Amino acid sequence: MIAVRNALLLIGLMSGAFAGAAEVDGDWSMPAKDYAATRYSALTQINAHNAKGLHPVWSFSTGVLGGHEGQPLVVNNTMYVVTPWPNTLYAFDLSQEGYPLKWKYRPDVNSNALGMACCDAVNRGAFYADGKIIYNLLDGHTVAIDAASGKELWKTQVADLRSGETITMAPFVVKGVVIVGPAGGELGIHSWLKGLDLQSGRVLWTARNAGPDSEVLARPESFHSFYDKGDDLAAHSWPNEAAWKTGGGPVWGWISYDPQLDLIYYGTGNPGPYNPEQRQGDNKWSCSVLARRPEDGALIWAYQFTPHDNWDYDANAVLILADVMVGGHERKALVTFDKNGFQYTLDRATGELLAAHPYVMVTWAKGVDLKTGRPILDPAKQTGASKGQVKDICPSLEGGVSPASPAAYSPRTKLFYTSTNNFCMDWTAREVRYLQGTPYMGADTPYHAGPGGNLGSFIAWDAVNGRKVWEVKEPYPGWSGALVTGGDVAFYGTLDGWFKAVDAKTGVVLSKFKVGSGVVGSPITFRGPDGKQYVAIYAGIGGDMALLAGDVRSDDPADVRAPPDYLKTLWRHTSQGGIVWIFGL
Amino acid sequence: MVMLRCKSVALIGVLIATQLTAACVRHQNAATSASENASANAVPPAVRYEDRIWAGGVPPPSGGLYSVQANSAQNAQDGEALFNSMNCDGCHGSGASGSVGPNLADGRWRYGGRDEEIFNSIFYGRPKGMPAFGGLLGQGGASLLVGYLKSLPKPDTVPTESSIESP
Ligand code: HEC
Repeated sequence: MIAVRNALLLIGLMSGAFAGAAEVDGDWSMPAKDYAATRYSALTQINAHNAKGLHPVWSFSTGVLGGHEGQPLVVNNTMYVVTPWPNTLYAFDLSQEGYPLKWKYRPDVNSNALGMACCDAVNRGAFYADGKIIYNLLDGHTVAIDAASGKELWKTQVADLRSGETITMAPFVVKGVVIVGPAGGELGIHSWLKGLDLQSGRVLWTARNAGPDSEVLARPESFHSFYDKGDDLAAHSWPNEAAWKTGGGPVWGWISYDPQLDLIYYGTGNPGPYNPEQRQGDNKWSCSVLARRPEDGALIWAYQFTPHDNWDYDANAVLILADVMVGGHERKALVTFDKNGFQYTLDRATGELLAAHPYVMVTWAKGVDLKTGRPILDPAKQTGASKGQVKDICPSLEGGVSPASPAAYSPRTKLFYTSTNNFCMDWTAREVRYLQGTPYMGADTPYHAGPGGNLGSFIAWDAVNGRKVWEVKEPYPGWSGALVTGGDVAFYGTLDGWFKAVDAKTGVVLSKFKVGSGVVGSPITFRGPDGKQYVAIYAGIGGDMALLAGDVRSDDPADVRAPPDYLKTLWRHTSQGGIVWIFGL
Repeated sequence: MVMLRCKSVALIGVLIATQLTAACVRHQNAATSASENASANAVPPAVRYEDRIWAGGVPPPSGGLYSVQANSAQNAQDGEALFNSMNCDGCHGSGASGSVGPNLADGRWRYGGRDEEIFNSIFYGRPKGMPAFGGLLGQGGASLLVGYLKSLPKPDTVPTESSIESP
């Protein structure tokens, strides 16, 4: 299908010369729009001048109350929506009035997964490839569904629920290989990345994120870490085998791909447990970015953002591939807003660190040493069971940017767009025992607001100079993904239930609409069968923030919670929901 | 207020961390002997716990009926220690105030709040993600936890949330 699409694109380009207007791709067929994970669409109908006229044209209740993370797909005049557990898949016919369902697929997903998923039963979306919709079920299965008929083509168990593995990430498909990884950094999993055959669902390769080179697929002839030398780095950086076998490093974020280098990039989450004194060493490759070959999973390079993580700084944020000027030269870079508060720019061919700029208040480190690639730590912010309560660690473990809210990049403005959080935290660790199927954490980590009076914001970021270009302050943490378009409009949602369009150059809010529940999903845009541009977004608060926000649910009389001190009023603005919205002019 | 409770629980957790391991070993022994006694009666439990996740990978003992043992104030204290050492707090939050698992301190119960019902929740697990802890805790350990959960003060501020400032 990719070949077909390319051919179509070629024909499109050629005929465009005659038609006068080259048709840009109006579909949205993968989670982050393209392999480079930019969440940029070249569509221009909606622009900074007319966006004030945006209004809802359609909405649909998914029937599920839960965190609606991720985004719909639009392919061949059909919109595909995956719900949180129980992971129903809807296919809407965009060519008919009212967008009726073509079909819906209802997998049987083990309800035990509701306890194993650390942070709400979310799903970050599907991937379209070769006439199939591929996505993951919370209880550890990957499925392929025929995009036209809704028939299940294959279903493969990839994760082991009993050992605390669930799947919340969206799969990634390249060169006929479906790439998936598990959540479970809070449950002591031994994390991995797997490649499945797109046609059959058969597991082609399994690469561990920790352990000896043979399991990590780090072969001497192909693996070159820019900073770390030696064999079995991902085993020797742990106290013992038991530690790396329960050391976490989950894969719950996003994957990107560079076709020239033939490398996929993904991030790994926190090591476990939260008491770092139980796992001396760097704990590789937790809190890292790994570059692998899609066909056989071979590790080519890896870089660890937060060695020996003390603060739950998962590195699962989106890794955007962009060409960025560094020291006067354009570099083929990988850009990410790490949970730990730094925006990193890496050379995506080698894993060399080119720049690291704090994008929110950071107290755990004074900076990142560009020579060694390592953070310059503040010793007073090191945590552990022997340290008692360590105060005022910024950002909080929710991240300066949550990996659940992927950033966007516009090649037009050369700016990155992202939601941010403004929490700091205290950290009290204690000894904890690994008990399979239960949380392996051992820390109490209450939050408080960072400086400035706002708990979140939406920003435009210049990665060349490491500076904020503009900011829309938000009263609550930012948990929505970003979208930016060829019309120079950026879109995002807020936890208190607003969906906003802003001028990508100035940050001026052009329109906003209250969508019924807090937004933790990511907006997309597409061209409908009528030739018009639309924008879609999920409403449905969830993820960490819904768990922590106190009483934002009303469907369960037996579970009533008081709001915590750091989110006293969110309940006034939202309760749970599950709505797909489409906006148009 | 919530925060205060979390902190004090964490503190207690740290203080008595050393005695936990001993307590757990004791309860596991209790479980073994309980299952031996029970297999003599050979009454199958009416609960389908085999479909649950087994905490620690250990299934609850089968072939018998297990029920809650009498509670005392001491039970509540030991139960609180177990609540942290068995990682209950990781799912239910510090002070059992709710996280991925429901709030257990709100005086309201999905599966019933009688000692026996709470015991069954802990021992055999529940379908929407509550692991079965019977194998790990045994009858004695699960009973201590019932004692702890029942001892939690019911909050008086929860049913009505108000943004109207009180005078
Ligand atoms: C892996 C996460 C997890 C762990 C660990 C866990 N629980 Fe639960 N628990 C849950 C979930 C999720 C539910 C809701 C189950 C349902 O509704 O079917 C629950 C339900 C319960 C209930 C029933 C509540 C009600 O309203 O009826 C009790 C009691 C309980 N848990 C006690 C405990 C105790 C005590 C421990 C430690 C020994 C513990 N839990 C450990 C996730 C967990």
